Amino acid sequence: MKDLLERLNTKYNLTDIKYQRDNLVFLTIGKENTIDLVTHLRDYEGFTHFVLLSCVDWIEEGKFQLTYFLNQPERKYDIAIRTMIDRDNAEMVSAHHLWRQITTYQRELREMYGINFPGSPGVDENFILEGWDDIPPMRREFDTKQYSEDTFFPREGRKTHDPASYMKEKLYPTEPTTDKVNKTDE
Amino acid sequence: MGKIKDILSPFTAWGNVVKEPVTIKKPIGREAAPRYRGFHKNDIDTCIGCGTCEVICENEAIDLVPVDGIETKDGDSGLRPMIDYGRCCWCALCVDVCTTGSLTLSNEYTWVSEDPDEFRFIPGVDKKSWDDNEKGWKKPEPNYEFYGKKRVEMPELHAEDRDKSFIEFVTGYSKQQAEEEADRCVECGICTATCPAHMGIPEYIKAIRNDDLEEGLRILYETNPLPEICGRICTHKCEDVCSVGHNGDPISIRWLKRYIADQNPSEKYKEILNAENIENNGKKVAIIGSGPSGLSAAYYLALTGYECTIFEKLPEAGGMMRYGIPEYRLPYDQIDKDINYILSLGVDIKYNVNIGTDITLDKLKKDYDAVFAGTGLHLGRSTRIPGSDHENVYFATDLLREISLGNEIHVSEKIVVIGGGNVAMDITRSLARLQNNKFGKVNVTATSLESEDIMPADREEVVEAREEKAIIDPGWGPTSIEIENGKIKGLHVQKCLSVFDESGRFNPKFDESNTKFFEADMIVESIGQGMDVEYISEEIREQIEFDQRGRIQVNDYFQTGAKWLFIGGDIIQGPDVIHGIANGHKAAIGIDKFINQNG
Amino acid sequence: MNNLFNWEPDRSKYPTVKDNGELDVDLSSHKFTKLWVGPNHPGITGNMAVEITISGDEIVQAKTHVGYLHRGFEKLIERRLFIQGFPTCIRMCVAEPDYNEYILSKSIEDLSGIEIPEMAEWLRTLALEMARLQSLLRTVPGQGGTFSLGLGVQWGMYLRDLISDRFEELTGARIYHMYILPGGVRGLLPDGFKARMEENLKLIDQFVINIKKLMFDNVIFKKRAIGVGVIKKEWVDQFGIVGPNARAVGISRDIRKDYPYLKYQELDFEPPIAKNGDIFARSTVRYQELIQTVDLIRQIMAKMPEKGDIKSPTPNVLHWKIAKGETYIRSESSRGEYGMYYVTDGSDKPRRINLRGPSYNHAMSLLEHMLINANISDVHAIMVSLQTCPPEIER
Ligand SMILES: Cc1cc2nc3c(=O)[nH]c(=O)nc-3n(C[C@H](O)[C@H](O)[C@H](O)COP(=O)(O)OP(=O)(O)OC[C@H]3O[C@@H](n4cnc5c(N)ncnc54)[C@H](O)[C@@H]3O)c2cc1C
Ligand code: SF4
Ligand code: SF4
Repeated sequence: MKDLLERLNTKYNLTDIKYQRDNLVFLTIGKENTIDLVTHLRDYEGFTHFVLLSCVDWIEEGKFQLTYFLNQPERKYDIAIRTMIDRDNAEMVSAHHLWRQITTYQRELREMYGINFPGSPGVDENFILEGWDDIPPMRREFDTKQYSEDTFFPREGRKTHDPASYMKEKLYPTEPTTDKVNKTDE
Repeated sequence: MGKIKDILSPFTAWGNVVKEPVTIKKPIGREAAPRYRGFHKNDIDTCIGCGTCEVICENEAIDLVPVDGIETKDGDSGLRPMIDYGRCCWCALCVDVCTTGSLTLSNEYTWVSEDPDEFRFIPGVDKKSWDDNEKGWKKPEPNYEFYGKKRVEMPELHAEDRDKSFIEFVTGYSKQQAEEEADRCVECGICTATCPAHMGIPEYIKAIRNDDLEEGLRILYETNPLPEICGRICTHKCEDVCSVGHNGDPISIRWLKRYIADQNPSEKYKEILNAENIENNGKKVAIIGSGPSGLSAAYYLALTGYECTIFEKLPEAGGMMRYGIPEYRLPYDQIDKDINYILSLGVDIKYNVNIGTDITLDKLKKDYDAVFAGTGLHLGRSTRIPGSDHENVYFATDLLREISLGNEIHVSEKIVVIGGGNVAMDITRSLARLQNNKFGKVNVTATSLESEDIMPADREEVVEAREEKAIIDPGWGPTSIEIENGKIKGLHVQKCLSVFDESGRFNPKFDESNTKFFEADMIVESIGQGMDVEYISEEIREQIEFDQRGRIQVNDYFQTGAKWLFIGGDIIQGPDVIHGIANGHKAAIGIDKFINQNG
Repeated sequence: MNNLFNWEPDRSKYPTVKDNGELDVDLSSHKFTKLWVGPNHPGITGNMAVEITISGDEIVQAKTHVGYLHRGFEKLIERRLFIQGFPTCIRMCVAEPDYNEYILSKSIEDLSGIEIPEMAEWLRTLALEMARLQSLLRTVPGQGGTFSLGLGVQWGMYLRDLISDRFEELTGARIYHMYILPGGVRGLLPDGFKARMEENLKLIDQFVINIKKLMFDNVIFKKRAIGVGVIKKEWVDQFGIVGPNARAVGISRDIRKDYPYLKYQELDFEPPIAKNGDIFARSTVRYQELIQTVDLIRQIMAKMPEKGDIKSPTPNVLHWKIAKGETYIRSESSRGEYGMYYVTDGSDKPRRINLRGPSYNHAMSLLEHMLINANISDVHAIMVSLQTCPPEIER
């Protein structure tokens, strides 16, 4: 694994390399070179098994992290390639030509995060959310709880009490009513 | 031939026609496995309404609701969990986390009702057919915990390293220890009601977890301006009700408070507590006594802009905290750290001024807009047994004060202490140290009316005293002090059978045939203290209400019938530091209201 | 007669191919019919639909539709404490809930450096193999079901129910076990468990013999399964095919062997493989696996210690935080590589969890591809032979 990374390092600018296990490494590469690296690994390094394509929303930084997860079945190790793309008008080069299932992944990311993959077959078709009219729901700012409160009706009559404040109310209400303070009669 | 076999072999299935069917005849009524996760059960008398089950439920299926007949009291919110089975997924996380172990699941799963609202009920309160069913899910045992059950031990000096000196023997948590201990808290907040000052306990513990000790300090000072002191010697009533203590050690709330205070340097207090620019409101308040109640009143008044002057009889501030509590438990520099900060807010203090003799209360009334008196209990009480007037019979508080003042006290080789409270333990352990230094050995015995199990002193005090080679021999009532040739020979005692009568009144019963003699050449009485309020003149007294037992009556704000005079601390409530602090705080609010309504 | 059986449609005439390479499927030409298979088809464990276009009784186009049971579990778990994940994740694959619990718990343990006790490892291994057993007890005879051979399904369902009884006494629930949690498991074997399990396994031993006679030595089954629904070897990489579907074309991939986890290294087994890649091959592989799973459960019960801790200490679950990090944990479910991508950000909740289920590839891109030119009567058989689990596609 180490020598593979050395080989790659001469060709690509890899950053944030982290070995999560001996046979699993995470690394980051610029958006322009991502698909190139993925293709290189598939064609020259035996990473023939594509495990998954995923997205992590780092909303605070205004970035989506795309993770291309590749497996080398002979040597039995994995590389997870991260690439950061802008959240606004998020777009990434399609990789559907490399593995057939990537089409599905890209369709899902389009729907759930709003990331576009121009040229990916059927990328704009509904995947799971037929008739969805809100923002892409896997984005961090989409609040599931709020959505369900707005969309469905709450069960009547539910009310809870916080033990500490309830005890305060019962045992030592802060402000004893002012009339308990002796008024000056002068 | 393979082909023929492939045609015939499936027909072997016809063999089943003559077999007994395997279908369950009566599927309804089949009992579920003993571990099955069915409807909830709650042992309602054990549950304390801490709400931890509600917090862990990932489906928000639980509400905490008041229940008729369950009273809100110390250690019990009076609330009980109500389950909404429209949301519950029967994961039993609530059971596994339950602090008291009251909550379990039954193995009942076939109950139905046509009324959907029936699927929302309070287990244990709304009676169900499975309430007495023993089977069902319980928290797995052993070593299956959702939070730490064992307290992070506080590092202490060994008995041998501490029994000669007065240096502090509890060394304090490290960052890692404090965070580990803080992690055990379940944030229920049951403790807050029990703390006399209602400190924001879960909040400051959370600040420790977040490593935000400045925030922690701010939370402490909202209700308690003596955190270094309380962090060491508070009676920590909060820990007695801690929900984690029901099945494990309670959180070390006191040590965590100390950790926050210890970690913040005094130079930064003003900045952290945002007290750099307090606007003076031109009003003046006099405070008598610099014990915790007086200091607390001064702090909160000063924060609001009052000009406060404390009058203190003794040469240094702190009251019993300095002149009672021994240095090995509460070092003087820590007292100073807390007090100096209060003084730095512009509080003035006049030492060696005895109100009543040096300045009269009437004069204070004239010169100030209001007066707060927290003069404490300083008169020792005597057993009044024969011989107790001997010159080598002392009061504990007198000796402790002399030790603190740095004066040499009389220490002899064989000492008996009468008393079983914390004060008695303090003087016993102090004397043990002095004996050790003077004679190289310890010979001090403490004896009390109360038997070991009901001794008022904290358990750890008794244990530690014994570690320091003092003898604690409880359960005896003193009858006389034997004196020969003008010298004390020892103390006669008889067995005490009970201290209180059926109605709970103090009324000790003795077995006169069972007696004992403690040899001693010095005796210390430590059976309580009384107040000295001579400084309150007859005229003012007439306006103040006293109860039959001579105790001063005040309202919720510690205001007496003489409206300008507020009294708090040991005289009114306690006796401990945190009550004094709480009283002083309330009184400060009351004084503020009083002055504002007046003017 | 012979001619009738060997008739092949002449695809050179229709549908014609347009200049851009797409098929010219014009519904108004009356040469094509659109049919929906599903979404409520019993052939798969959940709701999914295949939209097929047929010409005669041959399929010219196929498209998988999901979205009938999206519950948004990944999002829900992102908004819950670490401890609250395991009861929430189970429904991501209903048929084998234990795999969800395992990969989720293991991810959390991996990211926070927690080792679980030996006993818990054994119990996890047992639970996972029991889950496989239950799955195969339905899938193996289920393949017969797609050719209207319903009897074996009845047999399998009964045995599956017996394993549910065992799950019930071990975990406290029949379907949603919620047994594996971060740090360990939630209970030791109850008294007498092994004996009762052995009784069940004996019945399964007999079932294995019976089902062979009913299904695999059955001329109709063979006729319909051999040479139908063929997966080519090169597709395995192209489509991300895993598990029995890959092993049935001779590619020996099994996470338990390749990336050993839990106690699999201490167990003696060799994943069965087959060559032809057709429905029959996949069925045979699963059938062999069923036999092997029974054996594995026996091995586990014999090797596991009697007593031991079931859970390691964790931080207080109410405010457990995990430093920023990411990991991928895989396991071999009865359908193949079942993995989880888990990302933490230093807070008390995960930043992202992403399930990697086999059906995501098998039922989408692969199935759509395989159905082309298939006969309409084989659609269900092909679908089931991929052992699709729709809830795991859309989570
Ligand atoms: C030995 C001992 C150990 C204790 N241990 C603990 C403990 O571990 N934890 C705990 O919480 N509590 C403990 N206490 C109790 C605690 O110290 C008191 O409850 C607390 O100090 C009372 O505070 P206070 O404000 O009422 O008055 P005090 O602390 O008693 O202070 C009163 C002050 O007023 C001054 N004063 C009195 N009369 C006048 C006057 N006329 N003019 C001017 N000044 C005057 C006194 O000199 C004194 O400084 C202990 C007490 C003793 C004696
Ligand atoms: S956690 Fe237990 S003790 Fe606390 S409220 Fe719930 S049932 Fe009662
Ligand atoms: S069993 Fe689970 S879902 Fe039900 S109330 Fe308890 S914690 Fe909530």
